[in-house]
Amino acid sequence: MNAVIQTILIGIVIGALYGLVGLGFGLIMGVMKFVNIAHGSFIIIGGYIAYWVFTLWGVDPFLSIPAVMFVMFFMGLILYRLVLSPLLKYPRAEMRIDKSLLVTFGVTWILDNVVTMLWTSDTRSIVTAYTGTTFNVFGARLGLTGLIGLVIAVLVAVALQLLLTRTYFGKHVRAATEDSGAASLSGVNVQRTYLISCGIAAAMAGVAGVVIVSCYSIAPSMGLSWLLTAMVVIVLAGEGNIAYMLPAGLILGLIQAISTLFISCAYQQPISLIIFILVLMFKPNGLFARGR
Amino acid sequence: MRLSSPSILRSAFRDGVIMSLLEVENVSKHFGGVMAVNNVSLTLDQGEIVGLIGPNGAGKSTLFNLISGVIKPDTGAIRFETRDITPTAPDRVCQYGIARTFQLVRPFNQLSPLQNVMVGRVYGSAPAKTMKQARHESEEILSLTGLADKKVRMAGMLGLVDRKRLEIARALATRPKLLLLDEMMTGLNLTEMAAAIALIKGIRDSGITLIVVEHVMKVIMGISDRIIVLNVGEKIADGSPRKVANNRKVIEAYLGEKPLC
Amino acid sequence: MAHWKKLSILTLILALLAIVPLVMELGSNVMNVMVTLFIYIILAQSWNLIGGYTGQVNLGIVAFFGISAMVTHFLWKAGAPIYLAIPTGSLSSVVLAALIGLPTLRLRGMYFAVGTLALAQAAQTIVANIFTRSVSMPGSFSATYSLMPRYYLGLIMVVIAITVVYVITRTKIGLAMVAIRDDEQAAQVTGVRVFKYKVIAFLISGILAGLAGGLYAYVRLSFWQISIVFSPSWTFDALLAVVIGGAGTLAGPVIGSVFLVVISEIFANTLGQAHLILFGLLFILVVIYFPYGLIGSVDRIHQLITRVRK
Repeated sequence: MNAVIQTILIGIVIGALYGLVGLGFGLIMGVMKFVNIAHGSFIIIGGYIAYWVFTLWGVDPFLSIPAVMFVMFFMGLILYRLVLSPLLKYPRAEMRIDKSLLVTFGVTWILDNVVTMLWTSDTRSIVTAYTGTTFNVFGARLGLTGLIGLVIAVLVAVALQLLLTRTYFGKHVRAATEDSGAASLSGVNVQRTYLISCGIAAAMAGVAGVVIVSCYSIAPSMGLSWLLTAMVVIVLAGEGNIAYMLPAGLILGLIQAISTLFISCAYQQPISLIIFILVLMFKPNGLFARGR
Repeated sequence: MRLSSPSILRSAFRDGVIMSLLEVENVSKHFGGVMAVNNVSLTLDQGEIVGLIGPNGAGKSTLFNLISGVIKPDTGAIRFETRDITPTAPDRVCQYGIARTFQLVRPFNQLSPLQNVMVGRVYGSAPAKTMKQARHESEEILSLTGLADKKVRMAGMLGLVDRKRLEIARALATRPKLLLLDEMMTGLNLTEMAAAIALIKGIRDSGITLIVVEHVMKVIMGISDRIIVLNVGEKIADGSPRKVANNRKVIEAYLGEKPLC
Repeated sequence: MAHWKKLSILTLILALLAIVPLVMELGSNVMNVMVTLFIYIILAQSWNLIGGYTGQVNLGIVAFFGISAMVTHFLWKAGAPIYLAIPTGSLSSVVLAALIGLPTLRLRGMYFAVGTLALAQAAQTIVANIFTRSVSMPGSFSATYSLMPRYYLGLIMVVIAITVVYVITRTKIGLAMVAIRDDEQAAQVTGVRVFKYKVIAFLISGILAGLAGGLYAYVRLSFWQISIVFSPSWTFDALLAVVIGGAGTLAGPVIGSVFLVVISEIFANTLGQAHLILFGLLFILVVIYFPYGLIGSVDRIHQLITRVRK
């Protein structure tokens, strides 16, 4: 029984993180119809920044989140300006998607190599005084870092949801998502909305990176795996369904955690791939899609 | 542009058979909360030119998408030559003999004009047996539509008018029995329009039935044997151009716009 | 250029490639580079078929390269002759391509892209978990190792790959492929069974990637970690070669591969890992600003000049 509760706890903690990983990726995809393959690398870079700040100045990783978000926000702006906005010249949406896949794959390549040069290809993680601290929850153990990660993921998801539904900027984002042409005609600065969305997406990737480096570990080569996770979350949630990202992440986390009871945890990635394909085959509009 | 009873085009015509070519029966389609097409029925006889008109957002393009199989109706049925094509995929619909053009021209931009037409010849109904034959017949179609002397490497380099012609050529190359033309007059000047009208009439004379969506009223009233009017997804009139032009509902729907004739 | 002229140049190059190693000693360094070049050309042609001609962005082509390399390696080790091991390896690539292609090619392009990328990642993880130690062919193989047969097998495979792409693009299938690339929906209403031709293109591309993988297994006898045959850098190199050379052209991947191999020979020693970053920048620049690659750009400049002259 304890093992089951333990598994569910692990699933919830990592599932919330999966939701967080999916958010930034889903934002760019939903708003701009670009696929950002470099999202995983952004996550890794966010993690490394926290790692650096921690080892150089001893700043607690969770306290460095605002700084990481700030830096990543600007990386997002740069990504948009240099790489994504030139693609808007292509008139057809399919073409923009294809080109964005290619260029962001190139960005991933560059970033992964830069990260390897800066920090070597070793696996890194942050160990603080409270890293080993755990609570007892119904006889199972819940790590403090995991709990903090869970809280952060929920906070970010809620904050994004509020930003999109309750603010003027969110209104612009939704308008640009629905119909960028009409939005621009009715006075929405579509380019700027895209730009800032891209910054926010990168900042959220950064937060995910901090949680990952604090609770688990990072290495330059892990970017693509996290991208895959983000993609599975998107497919589960249904494209453009920002509100369902967190639940979708939790479902994925729970499935993976439960699967470790039967299969070695080394095979979580193949399991995500199988989930990805099954969902695409049977529920191509996501788990939460109603009707057709 | 001249269409002098070419063998290619005439082959689609089965003379002497009188039946309704297309039957659209109580078809509805909604997007989100909007009824794009609401319980529309219509029949088409062989050899007609039917004009499909209506204000913006009336559901004309949606109806085209439904007939060509690009989207599936929520309810209702579509029959073509008594065959139920409601669930049929667009490529199959094309092979049965329905071809279409797009409101915003969509030739294969990176292919040559000849290759564009060849796609229709190779994959349409009654496809060519060999690539050589397809090439030969496609060249014929290109010259029929006045594109023979356009020696460009890529169709994307053609001007708007020629791209529109090319789309029609590509559609004709599939040897359709029914051709759906979506706003091909928009953006043409008077001379080009006259040529386009001649082309449409030539296509009809070769035995192909046409549904023509058009905003230029003078043109559509002039060439159509029959006019069908859609308004907010519903069919509000169906009859001869003269009768439709004097229909009260139609005038109301167009109120504020230019007089019809 | 006239058709016969192209053909005679091609024959000349081929004859040179076939004869030179026989009459003069090139040294193992040059031979190694040439064999690497052959692997790149085959892999790039494979990507070109699905990505360049059919317009489906495959971000995990290494999965098909890798599985074939592995199958070839182990079959060969188990005693199968190499001329059976490589085709079997290719066949395994096709099976894998069907597994990932059938569910994803029906959907919009990005699912295919991410599905293939995910497949490559998963394959790397699985293989790394199964084979934790280095694998290599028995010592007797390295004792008799010679680059000559590898060179010629590679050359033959390059000819096969280019011929396959050439022939396909001149058939009905090729016409469907380019139509799908340019406008999927327009192709569909013109009677093209889009899904069918995407799958055909993908499976053939899988065979070619498998050939490249098989050749790699034949060339390289030992792997410190066999999972390196699933490293994303193979995918990136294939993409880079195609995009730089010119996607959707027959010569593009060849020119791109030559460019890639020559440049890495020059810079790998002087710049180290930084040369990979340069490649990345170059790739992005070409995708954004030179959508037709090197060949296309030269063509365009040529056209501009002739237009100005007129």
